[in-house]
Amino acid sequence: MKTALLPLVTVLSILALAPSPALAQEKPGDAPFAYAAPAFIKELDTRFPAQPPVPPSPPRYGGVLHFPAVVRAFDPTVGYRPELALVWDTLTEWEATWYYPDVQRTPVIRKTLVTDWRMQNPSTWIFKLRQGVKFHNRPPVNGREMVAEDVKYSYELLKDKAQYSTRAALVKHITVIDRYTVRFDLAMPDPKFHLNIVDSLSPVIVPREAVEAPGGLAENPIGTGAFMLKEFSPGDGALLVKNPDYYLKDKDGRSLPYVDAVRLYFTKDAATETALFRSKQIDVMRVSTLDQTYALMKTVPDLALYRVSSFGWGDYGISMALDKAPFNDVRVRQALSMAINRDIVAEVINKGDAALYGPFPWGLAGYTKRTDYSYANLGPNYQYNPKEAKRLLAEAGYANGFDLELEWAEFQGWTYGEFVQLAARFFQDVGIRVKLKQLETSTWLAKNTGIQPFNSALATFSPIGAGPSFMDWVYLRYHGSFPKTINREPVQDPKLDDLLTSWRTDPGDKRPQLQRAIWDHLRKHVYRITTIVPPHYRVSQSYVHAGGNPYCWFPGYCSYEAKTAWLTDKAPSRKFDKFAQ
Amino acid sequence: MRTYVARRLLQGLVVLWLVSLLIFSLVRILPGDAVIMQLDQAAAPTPEVLARARRELGLDRPFLAQYRSWITDAVHGDLGRSLVTRRPVTQELLKRINLTSHLAVLSIVIALLIALPIGVLSAVRQDTASDYLGRLFAILGLSLPEFWLATVAITFLAIWFQWIPPIGFAPIWQDPARCLSQLLIPALIIGARLAAVSMRMTRSSLLEVLRQDYIRTARAKGTRERAVIVRHALKNAFIPVVTIVGQQFSVLLGGTVIVEFIFLQPGVGSLMLDAVLLRDYTLIQGAVLFFAAVIVATNLLVDLSYAWLDPRIRYR
Repeated sequence: MKTALLPLVTVLSILALAPSPALAQEKPGDAPFAYAAPAFIKELDTRFPAQPPVPPSPPRYGGVLHFPAVVRAFDPTVGYRPELALVWDTLTEWEATWYYPDVQRTPVIRKTLVTDWRMQNPSTWIFKLRQGVKFHNRPPVNGREMVAEDVKYSYELLKDKAQYSTRAALVKHITVIDRYTVRFDLAMPDPKFHLNIVDSLSPVIVPREAVEAPGGLAENPIGTGAFMLKEFSPGDGALLVKNPDYYLKDKDGRSLPYVDAVRLYFTKDAATETALFRSKQIDVMRVSTLDQTYALMKTVPDLALYRVSSFGWGDYGISMALDKAPFNDVRVRQALSMAINRDIVAEVINKGDAALYGPFPWGLAGYTKRTDYSYANLGPNYQYNPKEAKRLLAEAGYANGFDLELEWAEFQGWTYGEFVQLAARFFQDVGIRVKLKQLETSTWLAKNTGIQPFNSALATFSPIGAGPSFMDWVYLRYHGSFPKTINREPVQDPKLDDLLTSWRTDPGDKRPQLQRAIWDHLRKHVYRITTIVPPHYRVSQSYVHAGGNPYCWFPGYCSYEAKTAWLTDKAPSRKFDKFAQ
Repeated sequence: MRTYVARRLLQGLVVLWLVSLLIFSLVRILPGDAVIMQLDQAAAPTPEVLARARRELGLDRPFLAQYRSWITDAVHGDLGRSLVTRRPVTQELLKRINLTSHLAVLSIVIALLIALPIGVLSAVRQDTASDYLGRLFAILGLSLPEFWLATVAITFLAIWFQWIPPIGFAPIWQDPARCLSQLLIPALIIGARLAAVSMRMTRSSLLEVLRQDYIRTARAKGTRERAVIVRHALKNAFIPVVTIVGQQFSVLLGGTVIVEFIFLQPGVGSLMLDAVLLRDYTLIQGAVLFFAAVIVATNLLVDLSYAWLDPRIRYR
């Protein structure tokens, strides 16, 4: 009961202590909230800068790296998990080591299975494969070389699987030119197609012999990755050992990976994860909130924190049924957006440690500095202005407001319960009568993925992409030609479609301007109400050096960083115990 | 006796068939399905791709056709394959049941070691300080929820001792030290609640028996009090305790989910919860059917044990 009431009490207290709207408008720079933790946030800024220091060199070999994960099936033909990238490589991947400070602001591609590419025309791409890459030396594949036929086979196998279909469906046909060269013919022209083969949402490369062997990849988990799966114990964990024949080298030509093994723990409870970290049974983990970070820092004072502004993942927003009144009226959408005080949302959700969020990731609109994430760059539709909101509603014919049903659900990693109470209060302040409807999580997921329609509004995160891909985050999610499972609301805007199509067909020169133009168009039309996005907190033990970047920040989401992580001699000595004996 | 057992077994089969029908229907009423629940947040499949995924899992077939093929296989001992891991359900269950049965047995042993002495002492010394203390223990055991105890235990163990029970199950016959260090604290937490229930039952049952005529007769004959309690009262007082423990054992086999979650012990409870969250129909159906069979068998064994405890009981 106490737990249930706590968010409500917090929300009401903050609303009571917050200044009046008029006052807030008079002094927009003030941050007069009683529950802010500015001193702690400042301490984090000072102690843990967003660009962590480059680790010492040379790295130390050996040890077993432990981190939490959730993997239900270690088989890419069955389901997608980024952790699968430990075993199976994609054609390329994102650079994530501290040795390349640029990656904190500019995505850098790490060439893995592919070493070069060339666009013949926007619909035809040639990829040159790395020579000498071998699959794991296990039967039935026995360490044979990965060649062009494997790429063709893997894409054809995986492109119809739900987990890979978004990216792979863009590929119409693959032709093997020679042993190390493949040609991709695309379903739609794309002058930047090489950006779509970069991360673990792109098909991984699997050997046919293992797929067709009894038990398939689940029983024969063979790839070209830095680690080989030694044991997978569903619900328990997985143990992966170093692939001695791994082809990738570090910046100084040393072989990778540095660690002897990686152990994943399939944790399901935040208290358990924290206890595992405190007892040094896991080395790296994600922390969800500032409060948890604070609690952990008190008991593990020597931990290292990678605190980085989110690229976009983890925001709080509201999707509206754009095909229904009143949400098909831009003035109503603008009014709803203006009714929300985003500073208070940030206070309630994460004690003020959050950034404003716009129509899509700031970085994709060309805003790469933290100071760019401002109301000024978002414009009036994102600024708290209940008076203007009321005026817009009256102009749209809703002077007396309207009834709005806001659907939401509990979802791990988000605190929607508090968010919807806040949103309801803000909307009620401008005359909108809100009915909150809590859904069972699977129903919410079905609505969130567009499989089921939502009635009028849904509290949710923005549709996300893997890595810093404009294609994932924006093109697919806003183009009117895509079904609701991709374009959720759905957004149907011919002018926007034209802009998106221009972006897609542009050879590259005008893309930054087009991306900014799309940003401007979207922030004006407010097809989704976005509010704030908390930063990512990744903590690691003092004896671990593991890289990261803003779109690849925690072990698991970007598992391939495990291949560049290393442990100092202060790391606990660990055995390769099997999970189930 | 044989007729009784045969009749109970027949009734058990009918119960299992009804359970199979019920669970098969209920899981399909739940919103969502295995395809939706496995989608990554960044995935955006088309409706055609989703339809194909459902077809691959056989979820597009008519309800009766799905039920017929599943129950036919189940009768032949094949509970199907998990929709998520694609591994055989029987294999998944057997792997997890090993840990859970260790946990259940250890919890019950701990519970009985605590409950029986305290329960007997409470009854024998009714309304004395030791009775009040025993009853206080029982109320605490019943009031403190397992999830709270488990969370507090794991948090403070980690903070104070930088230690938590090891992860990775080892059966007691392979590595007793590791097994006990892994399961002792979870078993204590589960056992505390069970001890509270059993203690109260032991106390009230023993109090009732101690007021029976034959106990008065035994005392009148000059039998020593210890002999009255141990030889004449306890055995009869145990009938309701055995019933409770038998029921609890069945419940524990599938009901240690919270403790399993928090202590990262992959038992049947967490398997079931995962299956429900991911809408893994075949796994839910197989596990429920399996546990229904275990409960039917346990109840039969408990009923049969009554005759041993009280020779006046006859089966017809």
